Amino acid sequence: MKTYKMPKNVFPDFIELIKTKGKLFGPVKQKSKYSFEEIKNLQELDFDYQRTIMGVKKFLTPPKYKTLTFDKEGTKDIIDEPETNIVIGVHPCDIHAVKILDRLFLGNIKDPYYASKRENLIIIGHSCLPDDKCLCQSTGTDMVEDGFDLFLTELADNYLVWVGSDKGLSLTIAAGELLTEEISDEDIQEYVRWQQKRSSMFKTVMPSFKYMADIITLNYDSEAWEQFGEKCLSCGTCSLVCPTCNCFNVDDKILMNAEGGFRERMLDSCTLPYYSMVAGDHDFRPDRTTRLKLYYTHKLKEYIGRWGQPGCVGCGRCVTYCPVDINVITVSEALFGEVCETKEVCE
Amino acid sequence: MWKRDEKKPVVGIFGFSGCAGDQLAILHMEDSTVDFFTSADIKFFHMAQSHQEVPEVDVAVIEGSINTERQLKELKEIREMAGVVVALGTCACYGGIQYLGDDEETFKERMKYVYGKSGETPEFLDLVGQPKPAQPISDFIDVDIMIPGCPVSEENFVPIYTKLISGLLPQKYPMPVCVECKYEGNDCFLLHGKFCLGPVTAAGCNATCPSLDISCVGCFGTYEGANYPSMIDKLKEIGLSEEDAIRKLKMFGGNKVEQALKGD
Ligand code: SF4
Ligand code: SF4
Ligand code: SF4
Ligand code: SF4
Repeated sequence: MKTYKMPKNVFPDFIELIKTKGKLFGPVKQKSKYSFEEIKNLQELDFDYQRTIMGVKKFLTPPKYKTLTFDKEGTKDIIDEPETNIVIGVHPCDIHAVKILDRLFLGNIKDPYYASKRENLIIIGHSCLPDDKCLCQSTGTDMVEDGFDLFLTELADNYLVWVGSDKGLSLTIAAGELLTEEISDEDIQEYVRWQQKRSSMFKTVMPSFKYMADIITLNYDSEAWEQFGEKCLSCGTCSLVCPTCNCFNVDDKILMNAEGGFRERMLDSCTLPYYSMVAGDHDFRPDRTTRLKLYYTHKLKEYIGRWGQPGCVGCGRCVTYCPVDINVITVSEALFGEVCETKEVCE
Repeated sequence: MWKRDEKKPVVGIFGFSGCAGDQLAILHMEDSTVDFFTSADIKFFHMAQSHQEVPEVDVAVIEGSINTERQLKELKEIREMAGVVVALGTCACYGGIQYLGDDEETFKERMKYVYGKSGETPEFLDLVGQPKPAQPISDFIDVDIMIPGCPVSEENFVPIYTKLISGLLPQKYPMPVCVECKYEGNDCFLLHGKFCLGPVTAAGCNATCPSLDISCVGCFGTYEGANYPSMIDKLKEIGLSEEDAIRKLKMFGGNKVEQALKGD
């Protein structure tokens, strides 16, 4: 992996260059929240953010989109035109989330809609400092080695620019003199100091996260589920904002002329009432408690069994956005705390 | 491949007590209005056509709540002659804003308060029979499909309706306004100590209000997965009294909120 240095004063030129390669999106402050939006001018870009409301999944598996049209003649797939989207300012947790989505959508069975969106997406990561809702250190997703095209680490006067793919390499070649390969010992020291500072800033450290899968298994009938189920509003927010949640629903919609229509895909949530309903009206999870249990068992246990890594990348979105404080931290703490209390294993 | 019958299904659009906004919403679809009148055989449309007699319809779309004996009689006749009955709009589905959940006594008190001592409407107003408390149509007849909204949105109405006139079954998948609110990428009022009924309100409006920075007041009626006790706790947490919280829930939630609070 190649690494370059870019002085901050040429950053505007770098952005101008990037914009010639595709449609540029980045974190923009909108009142009380941040969102990845199209960047028309540099001033809109705001890297001093913790989390956008939706992660990169909004580009890859959008909330609602058409996948085909149909009429009397037949059906026609709508696979995206090859237009390149570039998203800049993506944090390590969100890059890990894309890696998880890639694994799901581009595995044995490739999803053609996702594949074309993914192929046309360039990801430029950006370093970040955590707040008390970030738990990526505990989920092991605070650093990234791949999954991005370029990654910018912000130091005092410079950016370190890490190249993560051929597409990223082409961008650095195009950037030419804006970048230099000359990274001094002082730069390296500054980088190490910055990393140390960042590591020490995590307020939410959950050592129990490492064996949460076991805790869930051992404490499967925990009463905590019932308590969370009582509070949960079945509003779907937690999974919609989660950058790794990817369940979708499909519906064919007929136009008013009743002669044609389109197929639509929309993000679903396992917290909604009919999520586990199958043919014949059999519903395996008719109540909130079992649905929440599914959400967390899937994320924190099943993913680990399958891929050796939880389905949570520690972005803190559920922590921020659940209106009744049900999130990966409160759930893990309740399950773990209960084990501590009843099994007298903790100090 | 999908192909519907050659014969167009017969459709009737009927209206009872409400503002007629849902019938208007259909006429207001602009780009689709012409298609609406050509894709099915519209035999009866209260607002758009002068009265026609219909012996039977494949699909009956019914707007409004029921609050006179005469309406009730008509409603039952429609059920008799219809293949599929659709409740259109929040009034037909849940009783709407005029649903107060009053018992006979309280209702009479109100009538006296409005119309004077006798509590009867003046004769010249007695065109549709003496009023009784408004109730959703599902309190009296079997309803096959509910399309709430105040008024219904085109995006919500058309896909359900076109499936019905194509002889297909619409997908029933209840979601709250919050889902659409997140589709739109909005922050959440409740996190900032502000009122919002999104979590207990049926989706379908595309989270119109929160997307315009206005709290949802619940006009699409109740969400099947609504958790009222937790919602009331949340509203109390942001400063509402329990009484106010319940009043706000009942504004559009009608009989469903009433039943839920009674624990039915
Ligand atoms: S579970 Fe919560 S913290 Fe984990 S990735 Fe999803 S939204 Fe982020
Ligand atoms: S965000 Fe919270 S209240 Fe809403 S579905 Fe998720 S856990 Fe339940
Ligand atoms: S603002 Fe209202 S509709 Fe939107 S997520 Fe919050 S509670 Fe739901
Ligand atoms: S956001 Fe709520 S009040 Fe506004 S249109 Fe939708 S359901 Fe009605």
